[in-house]
Amino acid sequence: MSTAPRRLFEEVSPAHPPDPGPPAIALVRLEDTLRQPAAPTPPAAATVRPRFAERAADALREHGPCVFMGACSLFGVLLFWHLATTYRWDFYIRFNNIPTPLDVLDKVMQVNANGKFITNVGMSLRRIFLGFAVATVAGVAMGLAIGRYRITRGLLFPALEAMRPIPAIAWVPISIMLWPDNEVSIVFITFIGAFFPILLNTVSGVQAVDGVLLRAGQCLGAKESQLMWHVVLPGAAPQIFTGLAVGMGVAWVSLIAAEMISGQFGIGYFTWEAYSLISYPEIVLGMITIGLLGLACSGLIRFAGRALMPWLSFAARSGAAR
Amino acid sequence: MKHIVLQACAALCLAATATAFAAKQELVIGIGTQNTTTNTVTGGVVLKELHLIEKYLPHTGKYKDITFKLDWQNFTSGPPITNGMMAKKLHIGMMGDYPLLVNGATGQAQQGNETQLVAVIAYNAFGSGNGIVVHKDSPYYQLSDLKGKTVSVPFGSAAHGMVLQALQARGLSPDTFFNLVSQSPEVGTTNLQEKKIDAHADFVPFADLLPYRGFARKIFDGVETKVPTFHGVVVRKDFATEYPEVVVAYIKALIEADAWVRANPVQAATKVEEWTKIEKEVAYLYLGPGGIHTLDPSIKPRWLDTIKTGHEVLSKMNRVKGLDINAWVNETYVRQAFKELKLDYDAQKQTLANYDVSGTDPLCRMPIARPKEAGEVWIEGAGITAYASPACTLAAVNKAQAENKKVRVAYLVDRALGIKLFADKAFYALDTRDPKKPQIVPFLLKKDAEAHAATIGGRLATYTDALAAAAGL
Repeated sequence: MSTAPRRLFEEVSPAHPPDPGPPAIALVRLEDTLRQPAAPTPPAAATVRPRFAERAADALREHGPCVFMGACSLFGVLLFWHLATTYRWDFYIRFNNIPTPLDVLDKVMQVNANGKFITNVGMSLRRIFLGFAVATVAGVAMGLAIGRYRITRGLLFPALEAMRPIPAIAWVPISIMLWPDNEVSIVFITFIGAFFPILLNTVSGVQAVDGVLLRAGQCLGAKESQLMWHVVLPGAAPQIFTGLAVGMGVAWVSLIAAEMISGQFGIGYFTWEAYSLISYPEIVLGMITIGLLGLACSGLIRFAGRALMPWLSFAARSGAAR
Repeated sequence: MKHIVLQACAALCLAATATAFAAKQELVIGIGTQNTTTNTVTGGVVLKELHLIEKYLPHTGKYKDITFKLDWQNFTSGPPITNGMMAKKLHIGMMGDYPLLVNGATGQAQQGNETQLVAVIAYNAFGSGNGIVVHKDSPYYQLSDLKGKTVSVPFGSAAHGMVLQALQARGLSPDTFFNLVSQSPEVGTTNLQEKKIDAHADFVPFADLLPYRGFARKIFDGVETKVPTFHGVVVRKDFATEYPEVVVAYIKALIEADAWVRANPVQAATKVEEWTKIEKEVAYLYLGPGGIHTLDPSIKPRWLDTIKTGHEVLSKMNRVKGLDINAWVNETYVRQAFKELKLDYDAQKQTLANYDVSGTDPLCRMPIARPKEAGEVWIEGAGITAYASPACTLAAVNKAQAENKKVRVAYLVDRALGIKLFADKAFYALDTRDPKKPQIVPFLLKKDAEAHAATIGGRLATYTDALAAAAGL
């Protein structure tokens, strides 16, 4: 952001050679600078193909190491698990009774023999997304209000802060009684998980918005609603997306507590039921499934963040290079 | 100066730890209990609170230099105890028949983690204790009414086994008859209270506790399956092999706890409420004279048949690994305990006798000859009095109410199923053609009361009607 004004002056000077006419300062109309990026000639059709290949190579260079490192990290955990359980390591931490990766793989084959496991996964995804969607809307809206207005902050924030540390599992009985439908009770608990990180990050994002930008907007005659939409929301967006990623994680964390209510379906329920029948490979399978689904969901959010905030990808890229 | 103090401290600490190590070795015994599962209390919370195990623990021979530390851990169901035993955190655990067989099979599947069934805590020879309850306002009165409904049960529990067996005996499939889902007692109870499920099947004491708390009605009792149910004690095999005297000491303490309950059941029930928060009226229903459960440590062959049946049921659902029952059951410790207490184990193993309601009826002035027709009334502040018949019992309730005394609870025995029940939750068959000699017959199930009313030419009645009928006495 801070580079913009400087560019404004640099680009101005050659366009308006000093002449005895109007004074140089008056000079730059906003439209001129905005038009500037459009100035380079649009790429010719012929150049598109090589540029695509180039871009692919770029992408590989850029993301290759990341993907490689990610694979290494996951593989490392798997290898450790395999060695620890196969050789039954026992040094204070004990791996004697932990199922091996192969046991769990066997279970994967077994449970996928029919569609029940996929149904479980599907049910859980639906619950997570519903809870998360409501949490996003409520968290961002309340976060904006709390971050921007002192009265809402004073009235709402203390109550919400008191509710934040309550663990999901403690909500189970109350949730059953609050909602007429069990499916809603379950979604409510995933909502509770996702809501607070989103809220807190939104609040802190709003408070971190540069006052200069707000004043500039006000000076240009922006109404409060416009200010919210064009300045505060984009300004807080990076933090909001951090909140969304964390919130998504916590929503998955609260899944087992949520699905204890259901009594059927859901990957959290699957894991819980495996515990009540003491089937360790199934428990681990449930844990891994939750982990991977959580990873995928957070990835989805980061992807959405990058698509919605193109200005950030520049910073991210320069960070990745380091 | 500072130096000297520090040095002195260090020396003291060193000396203290050195002597501790040299003189005594600490043996931690992890015991997994289920305080809220009322019929396991004599294996758990009673031993803990009355310090009975300490009384029998050995202190001679190889135990000369060992101090014992009892690590009591309480859970609301069996599976977490099995988990703790597999993790070597618990050495002794207690649970119902289905969790027990899962415990045995899980242990045998992991070499070095084997467990053994060493004693039984309490049983009902026909399966009572587990039951299905519905909301008190719901229109369901028996198992067949639940067709197509949603029923929850803690999977892997004795109650789960009861439901599966009840359906199997009727040729029904658990997949198609109703929608069976898994809910822990805590979750199932809340759901039932909020009418979000049609019925909840559960183990001791929930099937009676929920009706007692006033929002549920029991519509199926495990006794209808005729398959015995029991709670037993499992120990880690490596622990029992290394310290057999400790296991024997535990069983001796268990036998003393049983005697303590039987010697003064009212006081025991009151204490159990204090320790476990399960109402004493419910505890007495289970462990009092003629109660639903019989306290008896002997391992009877019939209980092992239950385990076999249960294992088949779970195997069919592919929910359990193989179990070698002969390798799992080990009677040597309980035999040894009986021997050391100079009791006859083989005689105990043969009998199914419980202690019964007895004495003389103060109202109808006759001896209580048939305990299965007797009743008891618990008056606030005055304790429990036994009566010879349902009519005399209800007359006593009337009398107490007339005298403005608070009746805590009245117990009767179901004529058809033979189980003790709460008088105010029962259905009655009434014949009041002779008001001086009314026939009042209590039943748990509406259908049984209706059937009996038809045979005696009487009518179906509620508790209020029955009280009114007893008014002429």
